[in-house]
Amino acid sequence: MSPNKTSQPSLWKSLVELPRNVWGSIFRNPLPSNDLERSATSFTNFFLHIHPVKVHKHSLRPWYTLGLGLISFFLFVILVVTGILLMFYYVPSTTQAYDRMLDLRGTVAFGMFLRNMHRWSAHGMVAVVFMHMCRVFFTGSYKKPREFNWVLGVILFLLTLFMSFTGYLLPWDQLAFWAITVGTAIAGYAPVIGKDIQFLLMGGTSVGQEALLRFYVLHVAVLPAILTLFIAFHFWRIRKDGGLSRPAEADAIPTLEFPEASTNLEPRRTYGVQGLVRGPLHAAGKVPDNTVFSWPNLFRAELFVFVVTVSAILILALLFNAPLEEPVNVMHPPNPAKAPWYFLGLQEMVSYSAFWGGIGVPGLFVFLLFITPYIDRGTEGVGRWFARERLLANTIFLTFVIVNIVFVIIGTFFRGPNWTFVTPW
Amino acid sequence: MAVNLKRISGGNLSENGRYRRRMLGWLTGVGLVGSGVLSAISNFVFIKPRTTYGQPQRFSIGKPEDFPPGTRMALGAQRIVVIREGNRLAAISTTCTHLGCIVGLDETGFACPCHGSRFDQDGNVTGGPAPKPLPWYKVSLTPNGEIEVDKDTVIQPGSYLSL
Ligand code: HEM
Ligand code: FES
Repeated sequence: MSPNKTSQPSLWKSLVELPRNVWGSIFRNPLPSNDLERSATSFTNFFLHIHPVKVHKHSLRPWYTLGLGLISFFLFVILVVTGILLMFYYVPSTTQAYDRMLDLRGTVAFGMFLRNMHRWSAHGMVAVVFMHMCRVFFTGSYKKPREFNWVLGVILFLLTLFMSFTGYLLPWDQLAFWAITVGTAIAGYAPVIGKDIQFLLMGGTSVGQEALLRFYVLHVAVLPAILTLFIAFHFWRIRKDGGLSRPAEADAIPTLEFPEASTNLEPRRTYGVQGLVRGPLHAAGKVPDNTVFSWPNLFRAELFVFVVTVSAILILALLFNAPLEEPVNVMHPPNPAKAPWYFLGLQEMVSYSAFWGGIGVPGLFVFLLFITPYIDRGTEGVGRWFARERLLANTIFLTFVIVNIVFVIIGTFFRGPNWTFVTPW
Repeated sequence: MAVNLKRISGGNLSENGRYRRRMLGWLTGVGLVGSGVLSAISNFVFIKPRTTYGQPQRFSIGKPEDFPPGTRMALGAQRIVVIREGNRLAAISTTCTHLGCIVGLDETGFACPCHGSRFDQDGNVTGGPAPKPLPWYKVSLTPNGEIEVDKDTVIQPGSYLSL
């Protein structure tokens, strides 16, 4: 051992400096006061390093993304947290599940409130993910190089629907039982493997204890794990695809439309690999710098969206209680037996034909969604809402959205007992 | 201990050695993919139940006297309706052939609350999305005089058991 006097501070000194040293070992950087520290903040903090060091100003425009992807993510986070808490009381058993719902409502502290939060976030996530998909479409953001992230997005959308479908059975009330009876029967109409899928989902020939257990496992373990994986993949791709889509003009010198574009020319690749996003690297030399530091610009925006999302869910959970129907009666479906609103369009379609309404048409829709970026490959109008150059594509997609909404509305308001046509007024 | 980069990249391998290396690569790939596929399949085999715990498919529903002539009685848990006309008896499924809801009895036959399928007294589709008529199940008299329904055996509609 070589004697090194300066490297061994006294015990007393270590104790005195303990708080500061512990703090410093966790947060390597002080609150940033210059650009170097600002960039260090983004890539030395585990929770922040998913972000680029700098973001393009265009990506921060609130009216461009409407924050919808972020809101989807935060809703998912709320769902995970409240869902884990609900698991402390829930029992996936046909004899106990419903009673546990009553317990949550009646005796568990905050039980009702947590269940409300979980339910409204679930409804919200389906709606917001759909709206996020619409925003991506209407801004042409699925174009090269983001084709595959759109595909990941479609998978995320399907996973989100499947999450809510499996969660729907768990309260074991009338709505749950009959919606899942119908839902699994729809799967049975799929060609070739339909009957096997139905049997695997239900773990038997009808919806009962086995189905409840299976749906529980899917809902609390399998699907959240897959969803988490795909969300991570989705986010990673955003980075690797060069950040959010933006119009070509946003990278140019200032114009009337983008006055914030900077005239201040900077060399490319100033902030190292962590801050690098894909761009025309061959254009070495000086280019206009239209980016700002993520700290604080991006983080402030994200915090804002987070607070708004959580507040909205808290307020909804305070104002409205999650419904709970009668306990399951396997002999009498409620009349009409309605699925949750986002599946009512599907239910309306299966009321014409089980195969076409439940498998054929939805399957075609999903297939079209998947191949959209590989079919619609023009590069015009990317990064602008409802760009005129994309009139045809946008019109087709808008029609698709409207048809879906109309079917949901018919199913929700215009269908009465025995699924006959009624007028809500 | 310098690492010989040339050896690692296979740069100075003989023709034969390179061939062997490629074969090994292929074998490894096929082995990995194969085991992946096999384990995926075995997972599905695992989650496909061999026994089910639901309602039995063959069960007794009582004596003929329990169903006097003119009866149309729905047995909810068994998901059948028992019909007796004179001395003939039959059991028709009440599981809607559309998507599995339970149909209710009404004056003209059966109606489904879920998507509005309608069936006549014999279970033939008269409206709605149901693709098939309601199946008739095999009914028999056991030696001790009880009526047994076998939901695994679907029979020709209109074939009754004579008592
Ligand atoms: C669980 C569901 C989802 C989550 C949590 C999520 C999250 C996000 C986030 C945070 C962004 C950043 C920009 C923004 O906020 O808009 C984003 C962008 C994107 N999302 Fe999603 N998303 C989801 C589902 C989808 C779906 C259903 C699609 C389309 C089918 C999709 C396609 C895309 C694409 C292509 C981008 C890049 C957009 C651009 O570059 O302008 N995502 N997503
Ligand atoms: S399940 Fe009977 S009509 Fe759909």
